[in-house]
Amino acid sequence: MLSEVLTRVVIVVSILLPISLGLFVGRERLATTRTEWRSRIRLSGPAILVVSSVLLLNRTVRQDGPGIGVHMTEVIRKIEGEFVLIFQEVATPQLTAYFSFIYIYGYTFLLVFPVMAYFALSDTKMFRRLLTAYAFNYAIGLVLYALVIAYGPRNVLPELIASSGSGTSTMLYDHSPEFKYLTREVNRNVNVFPSLHTSLSATVGIFAYLTRSSYPKWLPVAIVLAVSVIISTMYLGLHWGIDVLAGLALASFCVALSCRIVGRWSLSGLYEQLTEFDRF
Amino acid sequence: MNCDTTDHVDGIDRRSVLAAAGAGLSFSLSGCVDTVQSVVSDAEDDQISLSLVTVPDDGNRETVRIARHLEQNLEAVGIDVTIAWRSRSEFLKMVLIDHDFDLYVGRHPADFDPDFLYEALHSTYAEESGWQNPFQYSNPTFFDPLLEEQRRADGDERRERIKPVLRALAEEKPFDPICRPDEYRVANTRFDGWGDGHLATRRGYLGLESEADAERLHALVTDARPSQNVNPLSATVDEQGTITDLLYDSLGTLVVTEDDEGVAYDVEPWLAAEPWEWEPTDEIDASESVAETDETKTDADGMLTATVTLREDCTFHDGEPVTAEDVAFTYQFLKDTARGQSASPSPAPRYRGQVSAVENIEVEDDYRLRITVDAGTEVGERALTVPILPRHIWWNEIQDRIGDLENFRAPQGRWGLVETNSVSPIGSGPFQFESQSERTYLHLERFDDHFSRRDDVDLPEPTVDELRFTVDPGSTSSISRVESGDADVTSSLLEAHSISDIPDSSDVERLESPSWTFYHLGFNTDSGPCSKTSFRQAVTQLIDKERITEKMFYGHATPLSSPVTDEWVPDDLAWDGDDPVTPFIGTDGSLNVAAARAAFEAAGFRYDDDGRLRDRY
Repeated sequence: MLSEVLTRVVIVVSILLPISLGLFVGRERLATTRTEWRSRIRLSGPAILVVSSVLLLNRTVRQDGPGIGVHMTEVIRKIEGEFVLIFQEVATPQLTAYFSFIYIYGYTFLLVFPVMAYFALSDTKMFRRLLTAYAFNYAIGLVLYALVIAYGPRNVLPELIASSGSGTSTMLYDHSPEFKYLTREVNRNVNVFPSLHTSLSATVGIFAYLTRSSYPKWLPVAIVLAVSVIISTMYLGLHWGIDVLAGLALASFCVALSCRIVGRWSLSGLYEQLTEFDRF
Repeated sequence: MNCDTTDHVDGIDRRSVLAAAGAGLSFSLSGCVDTVQSVVSDAEDDQISLSLVTVPDDGNRETVRIARHLEQNLEAVGIDVTIAWRSRSEFLKMVLIDHDFDLYVGRHPADFDPDFLYEALHSTYAEESGWQNPFQYSNPTFFDPLLEEQRRADGDERRERIKPVLRALAEEKPFDPICRPDEYRVANTRFDGWGDGHLATRRGYLGLESEADAERLHALVTDARPSQNVNPLSATVDEQGTITDLLYDSLGTLVVTEDDEGVAYDVEPWLAAEPWEWEPTDEIDASESVAETDETKTDADGMLTATVTLREDCTFHDGEPVTAEDVAFTYQFLKDTARGQSASPSPAPRYRGQVSAVENIEVEDDYRLRITVDAGTEVGERALTVPILPRHIWWNEIQDRIGDLENFRAPQGRWGLVETNSVSPIGSGPFQFESQSERTYLHLERFDDHFSRRDDVDLPEPTVDELRFTVDPGSTSSISRVESGDADVTSSLLEAHSISDIPDSSDVERLESPSWTFYHLGFNTDSGPCSKTSFRQAVTQLIDKERITEKMFYGHATPLSSPVTDEWVPDDLAWDGDDPVTPFIGTDGSLNVAAARAAFEAAGFRYDDDGRLRDRY
């Protein structure tokens, strides 16, 4: 069941990727990438290493909570009440289908495409910044997941999410069981604060803005996709508004941090500084 | 030298000064606290506030909905409510072990026999952790005698003796039964014989035939706990006990039969080779006693004794023989899991009611033992349904844990042995443990040496080589997996909202079984406003049971006024469109707030100017 879903994700994303690479990146950049990829990888080595180790850690740590967290479901619910239910008022089967698709496939694509697009730029700075920002998102998100134990709206307000709109259910979980397998596999149901779907999508959105001169056509697409993913987390009852706010804050923080760090200390620069220091 | 003395003196001085200061401080503080409290009261800031524990939707959608219905109505009458959402096992730990709640909404596993009320309500267990009396309800002069009288009776007399228990329960409300869910499952027609045995018990998985001689039976559970822990003693895993029933044998086995006249629950010989006869007890050999108190009852008046003969040459899954010693050990061990090594006995957090009926066990030889119960035959036979544990495994486990006898503690209901998943789950049951993967599956294999497979034994036997329980958290997805042939049966009962999804297909059989579990609201009667009966009664009148069964269970449940199966309920307590004792204050799901507030005032509480219910009179 799980492998079927994963295969479908891989298929959808691998159809979308070449199309969008051709559309947004262009043949020229891809051609230069073919000749320069070795040196670009060498330059980006540290960033690649950091993001892969964080992802690896993420994989192992997320399944089992370390048991140090504080139960916060009721605190969140008392603060924001039934805010997320406003999305139920506009729910239609078409919207549900759209947001379900966006939540899984759109999100995966949104995260993978910029990695390739920025790698295709001669200057690797953006590529390194993006990876570093991803790493920060995951790392900080992981710490917050450990500290805050909370269930999402679908677990707490199920009847409202299950029987809304014109008799349709926006409960991804009831009617698209494959999503349940997928999300269960990557996450525990108490990891909702902050919304990493939100923070990573917003991260991509901000980067799309920063690189608008290189990829002008990507910006509107990225914005639409990112906003859709963010709304989908609430529409589908997976996250609270507070999780989304925290996700947005996390994204801004991580982008700012990655821009400050990357380029300031490069390994070669550090090496030069050290050798210079040696001379004295 | 000089230094030394000074230090010494100094030390003493400091200590005595500290002690004096401490005493003075706590004395002055106690005055302080009183003052603070009265100031707070003057500010009229002591609205009644209750904590309500429940599981999230992933655990059970119906309990979430009931809890929120109750929350809404409690808030309408001016009570502040804080809901604590916990996973299934954390929920049970909070309620059963830690007693950390004012109210909880959950499903009670109950039992086929109403004697489960004995362990649920007897005041002896008010201090214990586990399924025994989580309400900490204590009413020794009134309630305990009623509970004891019913268990010593049988047949029609017992039916009469149960009535006052149920009437008292309906008045006293240590808990309030809400409804009994219809028990639906689906099975693939690849196998034949579904429904011959109840799928909550071992017999549901035995005697199944398949045309193609299928080697594997694939069952789905919505609950991940069997994939994590199968400790038969744990109170926080598998409340229904289905897995334990498959891994372990018991002397007798529950047989549920349904015909036009109703449902019959019988305990028939299982590990016992032949039917037992209950006879009045002559005398008790005090040295063999397994009684709970030091004062062994030597007065055998009213007790019954059965001689039970075990099937010969049965073995546990590790090859060790099953003997009368193991049976005697099991009953003693469940009464005190520390086997006398700890300062106070440490009874298991389950099976408390069953083993409390057993007064004495006398081992006659390897296969014969005499069991004396301080109860009638019905309750006596219920005592024969506990899992028989291998002495050699559990005795070793105890000794490993003792280590240092001086400092050995076995906190009741919460010490390692009754919680761990590290004890090898070796029983003598029809299936043996093979492997498990957390949150994914529990894999069992047929125990080829099980007695049911012998030619001269006419009992349903395990027909498949493998029995796998796969965790599938959703009823809707479970149904489609059974339909597609990916799985054979849903072992957990289906959630009410998914029942309409059962397809009309020749590949799928819809199974409806007699049910004895029920949804209920539990009170912590130990402290706070919930310790007052009148308050509990008023709270139960905020629950619209009829509406809950219609709207939250889509009609797939029966509203309850008594927590026992229908045949035990006296006419005056029968459901008549409303709870006969504590009817819902309101109509069609909407609370009559003014009348409900009046009920709380009549219960001795009052409202402040802001309409909040106050703690003080």
